[in-house]
Amino acid sequence: MSRKTIWYMLSLLTIGAMLLSACAAPATPAPTTQAPAAEAPTEAPKVESPTEAPAAAAPTEAPMAEVALRWRTRPDNTEEANVYSEISKELDAQLEGITLAYEAGGSETSSYQDVLKTEIGAGTAPDVFWIPGTDVADFATRGLILNLADLAGKTEGFNVDDFYPGPMGHLTFNPETSQSGADSGALWGLPRDVSTFALYLNLDLIAEAGAPDPREQAANGEWTWEAFLETAQAVRALGTDIYGYGASAWWGPYGVWLNAAGGGFFNADRTACALNTPESLAGLEFERSLYVDHDVAVPYGEDPEAPFRAGKVAMFQNGRWATPGVRTVTFNWDVVELPKGPSGHMGNWLFWGAYVVNANTQHPEEAWKLVQALTTAETQAKVAALGANIPSRVSQAALDAFLTFTPPDNNQAFLNGLNDNPATEGPLWAGSWPDYDKIMGPAVNAVLTGETDVATFGATICDEANKVFGQ
Amino acid sequence: MKNLSIDTQLRLLFLWQAALCLAALFGGLWVFFSAPWGALARYGVGLPLLLAGAAAGLSAWDIRQRRHRGRVLAIAVNYLGLLAAGVGALHVLGIFLGIDALAGTFGRGILWLLLALGALFIGGLGERLEYRPQLARRLQQGGRWMAALFGVIFLLRIGTLPALLWLLPRLLQPLPLGLLLAAALFGAALWLASRRPVANALHAGVLSDEAISGFLFLSPNLLGFLLFFAGPLIFSLYISFTDWDAFGTKNFVGLENYQKIIGLDLVALEAPDQAANTVIDVNRFSELARFNLLGRSYLLAATDKLFWISLRNTVQFVLMAVPLSVILALFLANLLNSNLPGMRVFRAMYFLPSVAAVVGIALIWQLLYNASIGYINYGITSAVNALNALFGTSLQDPAIRWLSSVDTALLSLVIMVVWQTVGFNTVLFLAGLTNIPTMLYEAATVDGAGKWAQFWNVTIPMLAPTTFFVVTTTTIQAMQLFDQVFILMNPPEGPNNATLTIVLYLYRSGFQNFRLGYGSAIAWILFALIFGVTLLQFQRQRSSQMEY
Repeated sequence: MSRKTIWYMLSLLTIGAMLLSACAAPATPAPTTQAPAAEAPTEAPKVESPTEAPAAAAPTEAPMAEVALRWRTRPDNTEEANVYSEISKELDAQLEGITLAYEAGGSETSSYQDVLKTEIGAGTAPDVFWIPGTDVADFATRGLILNLADLAGKTEGFNVDDFYPGPMGHLTFNPETSQSGADSGALWGLPRDVSTFALYLNLDLIAEAGAPDPREQAANGEWTWEAFLETAQAVRALGTDIYGYGASAWWGPYGVWLNAAGGGFFNADRTACALNTPESLAGLEFERSLYVDHDVAVPYGEDPEAPFRAGKVAMFQNGRWATPGVRTVTFNWDVVELPKGPSGHMGNWLFWGAYVVNANTQHPEEAWKLVQALTTAETQAKVAALGANIPSRVSQAALDAFLTFTPPDNNQAFLNGLNDNPATEGPLWAGSWPDYDKIMGPAVNAVLTGETDVATFGATICDEANKVFGQ
Repeated sequence: MKNLSIDTQLRLLFLWQAALCLAALFGGLWVFFSAPWGALARYGVGLPLLLAGAAAGLSAWDIRQRRHRGRVLAIAVNYLGLLAAGVGALHVLGIFLGIDALAGTFGRGILWLLLALGALFIGGLGERLEYRPQLARRLQQGGRWMAALFGVIFLLRIGTLPALLWLLPRLLQPLPLGLLLAAALFGAALWLASRRPVANALHAGVLSDEAISGFLFLSPNLLGFLLFFAGPLIFSLYISFTDWDAFGTKNFVGLENYQKIIGLDLVALEAPDQAANTVIDVNRFSELARFNLLGRSYLLAATDKLFWISLRNTVQFVLMAVPLSVILALFLANLLNSNLPGMRVFRAMYFLPSVAAVVGIALIWQLLYNASIGYINYGITSAVNALNALFGTSLQDPAIRWLSSVDTALLSLVIMVVWQTVGFNTVLFLAGLTNIPTMLYEAATVDGAGKWAQFWNVTIPMLAPTTFFVVTTTTIQAMQLFDQVFILMNPPEGPNNATLTIVLYLYRSGFQNFRLGYGSAIAWILFALIFGVTLLQFQRQRSSQMEY
């Protein structure tokens, strides 16, 4: 053989060996010395307490082969991704017979859902993944996620009432019977966490403007739309580049004004548009006045977070997920609940997302165990300690723990939001939520930027929005 | 094999081709009529199998008749069979899924691989030391041994041993084993058909061999084009006639998607402010625009309002961005086309935005455009304040809401994209400028032409081919605007859909709203638009060439 041939062969051998090693590494589950699973049936997980990891209380009768599971969630930042990674390692050790691989999904702006859908289409999506509450219907009705009701029914100690009823109402909705609840025959997943809106306050700006402290007003029951507007106007008077209020341009922030006025996006059974009701229009009118008439808000559509962090916005409306970022600011800050509107409520949202199981998973039972393990109070507390969200379990212990995750000092503001009959973020089982959002968003934008008035909005919006029902 | 007579070799090849023909035809018919697959999979697998069967049958017949065509067909069929079986085996073994992990494997072993290469290099140095044979021999032997040692460590480090242990049991599964066996048989038949004695027996000339070699060299590109470009293209055309949501069944809906996308309705109004729901079917149509024509008010409605909005935005963007980018690039190229010191640095600086990552650029511009704390508005405010202070004027700070106002959102995009593309276009124009013969300028100078006249009468006409290329490519890029708008705007469609472009809309329809069929139809309409515009540009280019 010539030297050239030897070189070619060596190169090919090297490349082949590297490829082979690379391919073997991810495809091989963690090594096991146990007997094959087929010969060693396991018991259904015994959950002795809803706050305990199922695997810890569900010992297997016989040794079993390791099952490799991939799971993914959408962390808001690197710190959160690291926490999930640590949680994955701990659960890996706890869940017998299951080897976990955690994948930090991209952020919302980097198209977490789009990537996920593409992977589902290609058959390469993880076994367990997180989706926003609004997406549950789209995923469920298309058969992309597993109905876990049967598995849950066999799970001792599992109770849907351990979680907030709002998210569970959607997660147990059976589109065939239009029934929700523990006996509906449907369970699409378990909520990872919940969150509500609050107003992040720049206390220095508010003090400089001589406005009363919103936290005290809230404590005295005086924190109303009028008080909110007065504070915003007082701060706005400090300078042309100083704003009283700021909120991002998506359905959450503007929805609270409609909710607080007694209106909302949909009718009671979420089968038709309700954006043109007098209450909804009144809420929108008040919000429009903040942007157009009183000019107290960061222009609609502009990112309010950057100016808030730069000390130029007094009240920044956002969810608990904004807390880690706000913690880096240098001015005095805290949070207060949203002001109460004409309905006597804040109109807050109960935001949530859920861990669901890929319909094509090869290991549904193990995936269900993982979903339960990911939503124990213990696991949720680790994520909540970062300050980005609130545990989704209705547990006084979890809420008490949440109050200790400071700053902000006034964590109670978020819990007050939870206790004030918030509207639950949810999917549209009778229509397409993405389509609804894409019709509603630009129309509301036109109102809040002063391009159109509320009356015109009310006259036309539901003609358009109702098209998404029954598509 | 070499010991077999040529007749036996041809008989073997004939038998293999005949068997292949029967197997492929049988398989193809089974796929068409009995396979529990969807229509697309049946056509996608069944049709190639039937074609391969027909080609193998024809090849067997020709080999029997000692015709050269039989050999060409045999080579083609067996080559494709070898590729299909090989790729199939790799897929079944999960090799492709592991390629992502190659970086990790490479990282673990790279040091030892480099050391092995270094040892080989040192061994190779021995050959240069002819005047010291003992040292040369030691170096060569030592180098080889060290290379072998490092090579083994490299293999151990990257985990070859466990990988082999992982692979071997999988290789023994029926499907991978069958595929590997098929690959070996195809390979053997390919080798047999390509041998010179077989070629001679089938009267193949040297030219024929050269053609076959040429096609074999072309095949990676050709196959890649067919599989990864033409295939998806045809697939997207097919699904544009369906209601496919990317997951469920594809129901054929004919031209329904196209009808819905472009459907328009024009109705006369009794009064300019007449409610739309009194004149159009609001369950099907949405109001798009109102206008007055010859004293009569009309309402234009569309079945897909957003498509027309996205088309309007895209056209507006093209009309603003393309001329700006091209004219600025032409201007800059003329400025930079000199031998002044430092010009190369300037050229590189202008080119930098073209090579920078779009995401990074868009995020930086997002901060610059911020109405409250952005540097652009800060600069404007400072300038207004300075002017007012200096001249006692009372100019108002415009406080432009770059990204959140309907009036400026698209303009903001135009500015960013022009800034990004102008450098690349400048380089193209610079290349065009350097190709203009200097004697033309000298002749023009002798004729008394000034710089301006030279520019209009020499530079512009001589740059026509470059200008055509720049305008065409910039137009196509502008019509496909997506990345920049997706990152810069939040939400991407901007205030009141002011920055909703066609590609953004098709992406949203296909990937976010679960309407892949509909999105594909939008893509084909965009293709038709771009094709039409490019065709127009080509025609204009031809006519302008004739003028010169």
